[in-house]
Amino acid sequence: MMKTNILTAVVAAGFVGAASTVLAQETTEAPATGQRVTSPQVQTQEDTETREQVTTTVQGDAVTTEETGSVAAQATDASDDTNVEAASDDALPSAEGADAAREDVGVNEDVVQDEAAEAAEEVAEDQPDAVEESQTEVIAEDDVSGQAHGEDTEVGVMDDDDHGQKEDDHAAAEDDHGDDDGHGTPYIENIDFSFDGPFGAYDVNQLQRGLQIYTEVCAACHGLEYVAMRTLGDETGPNLPEAQVIEYAKQFDVYDSELDDTRPATPVDHFPQSNLANAPDLSLMAKKRAAFHGPYGLGINQFFKGIGGPEYITALLTSYTGEEKEQAGTVLYGNSVFPGGWIAMAPPLGDGQVEFVDEHANDLQHLSEDVSAFLMWTAEPKLAGRKQAGFAGVIFLTLLSVLLYLTNKRLWARHKHKES
Amino acid sequence: MAGIPHDHYEPTTGGEKWLHRRLPIVGLLYDTLMIPTPKNLNWMWIWGIVLVFCLLLQIVTGIVLVMHYTPHVDLAFASVEHIMRNVNGGYMLRYLHMNGASLFFVAVYAHIFRGLYYGSYKAPREVTWIIGMLIYLLMMATGFMGYVLPWGQMSFWGATVITGLFGAIPFVGESLQTLLLGGPAVDNATLNRFFSLHYLLPFVIAGLVIVHVWAFHTTGNNNPTGVEVRRGSKEEAEKDTLPFWPYFVIKDLFALAVILVVFFAVVGFMPNYLGHPDNYIEANPLATPAHIVPEWYFLPFYAILRAFTSEVWVVQIASFVTGGIIDAKFFGVLAMFGAIAVMALVPWLDTSSVRSGRYRPMFKWWFALLVIDFFALMWLGAMPAEEPYATFSLIASAYWFAYFLVILPLLGVIEKPLIPPATIEEDFDAHFAPKAGGTKTLVKPAE
Repeated sequence: MMKTNILTAVVAAGFVGAASTVLAQETTEAPATGQRVTSPQVQTQEDTETREQVTTTVQGDAVTTEETGSVAAQATDASDDTNVEAASDDALPSAEGADAAREDVGVNEDVVQDEAAEAAEEVAEDQPDAVEESQTEVIAEDDVSGQAHGEDTEVGVMDDDDHGQKEDDHAAAEDDHGDDDGHGTPYIENIDFSFDGPFGAYDVNQLQRGLQIYTEVCAACHGLEYVAMRTLGDETGPNLPEAQVIEYAKQFDVYDSELDDTRPATPVDHFPQSNLANAPDLSLMAKKRAAFHGPYGLGINQFFKGIGGPEYITALLTSYTGEEKEQAGTVLYGNSVFPGGWIAMAPPLGDGQVEFVDEHANDLQHLSEDVSAFLMWTAEPKLAGRKQAGFAGVIFLTLLSVLLYLTNKRLWARHKHKES
Repeated sequence: MAGIPHDHYEPTTGGEKWLHRRLPIVGLLYDTLMIPTPKNLNWMWIWGIVLVFCLLLQIVTGIVLVMHYTPHVDLAFASVEHIMRNVNGGYMLRYLHMNGASLFFVAVYAHIFRGLYYGSYKAPREVTWIIGMLIYLLMMATGFMGYVLPWGQMSFWGATVITGLFGAIPFVGESLQTLLLGGPAVDNATLNRFFSLHYLLPFVIAGLVIVHVWAFHTTGNNNPTGVEVRRGSKEEAEKDTLPFWPYFVIKDLFALAVILVVFFAVVGFMPNYLGHPDNYIEANPLATPAHIVPEWYFLPFYAILRAFTSEVWVVQIASFVTGGIIDAKFFGVLAMFGAIAVMALVPWLDTSSVRSGRYRPMFKWWFALLVIDFFALMWLGAMPAEEPYATFSLIASAYWFAYFLVILPLLGVIEKPLIPPATIEEDFDAHFAPKAGGTKTLVKPAE
């Protein structure tokens, strides 16, 4: 704890500089801010496949294979006695790599921008109910619960037939699990994460595994721009030793406005931004999605299950149907969880893709859960402190309530039922 | 209204007398705190304290948040994440502030509906009611502008939609909207002025709260019977009342503590429950969210706004009569503000001679329907604008207006009210019957 505080103090001093560096980059580069805008021509897949039918390998796809292949190889070479290997500088996708990947996989940005601009104009000009109407025409996904609708902006088309079919699938799924996730959104299965519920906390080992998966796979395209690398040493986070955090940070190059050049990152720096314009930043991904709205759309089950963001990520990673199609020069991959059914991201994870030093299970499901847990941490790093404060508040106020109740009872006693 | 007779502060020591001759502030505080309060107040009279607490909570957490927040389109979202990640206790400050707004509105709705049921708006408390309505309007403005500050997707698109409403006003709408936004669209200028106003308005609210309290301290509290405190003499008044301190302070604090247990459970264990996940996506003017949904506390009025489409005959008539000046969009805006306006005018719309709903057998049912209607509108506001919700919204909106404009005026004529108790003391003793000895049971008023 002491160590963390000192580190925080040091970092607080350096933060302003670091943040402004990051933000300067943000303004100049105008990166994707988490929106995944698929083109409206995208047709929904006809048959919604269940998880069992999903293919599990990622060999041969355009986005990550080259990058992650080298990352994984080097990370394995460099492994030491801890869970997380410090990958070398080469592990970082180079600018050329990112560009190449963008050409290969990126959604045709022009199309996307045009469509989005049109949608924006609609809203700017039309009446709000007209907006709602036009949107419900485009997206036949209605959130009956009235709760937060977890989807990112998508202008994807989902036709009514498919909608109905999906609901059937949900019905079946709900029979199995008895969960109400609201109509229209794909059924997301609850996962019993260690951090769910009022007393849940992050599993340090799981976060370290997730960090490794992120580093070896996700980091090729996706950034974590709001996460400072020093926080990897947080006791309630991945809890890496200080030396390891320093070593870990070195693999990333950051732009330093004082040097007017890049330099190896230090723990006070943030993770880099996304390498691909259409790869959303993952810092807050687990809070951008809500999957649980039950019972009866009240969303109270979030108290025990969490909002469902990590579950959504796991479901997304494990729900590739194996189908591919080309759309406006872009390869899209069938995914039964992603809104619209087609996603520009090639299946990033597969069975055994990441090897852990402790030989922890590394099938697709486990890898997906681990990286989802890590992304929950990046989205809500202070979860432990918040729950602790909440718990203290509840206990203290309950005691206070009892005392005030007794005081109040005593106080009023001589006026109620008084002897006349 | 000379106020309820009670003891006043008398300075005793030399120092007190010295100060009292120059600034009678201790006397003011004493009289405020020791105000005679009807002793039969039930648990629906605790929301005032909760609201005061909410205002203080929001101001205190808000002022600290401002120390770390940056009102700029490129930096606002990141600065909120900075608060969540780097500021000591920043995550609690922000979650308290975020959920504090929800608690504020839970309390204000309970407070308003209590007033509507017990006839607290009736003479001589119309001014208290009107000031309360002003506070409520300012709260909505403050809440709305506060929601824009994190500069997430819902912030941005909510701001776009709501400010677009002002553009619907004929002739002056567009200039008004431009003035509000500081430009043709929601942008940095909008964020800056919303930030400025979001900081200012809570203090205006605080000022109005003082006037609100002053007004009902002058008229005296209403109470569940709607019967006035006897004011003939101090002895008579004391049979109906107890001083605010300590009786009602302790009672209210007990209620507040219980409410805060729930509040802290929400903040600690599900802080994003009432928020919208889209607001964790930074604002992007090029990507419209699938559903633009306002915060839950705006949903009833949002439903009324959307209910009046161009297919509704009332809208068509209005459009025809005004030669198209009132189109469906403007009609919706008028309906939304009208829904609040009719509530503000209720002191003059309610014709009943009896104040409290407790003694109005027909009113009770219409009032219960109004409460159901309110929740129905809230639910419908979150639904997409399509059938069957559009029709439901229209029916629910129609009832809202019918309640205030038709039912309340008529009820006063056709309803035969029950006879309220003659005095507050009588009501209190009916609940807590005076006994010679006997066991003291802890029965609270049944309300």
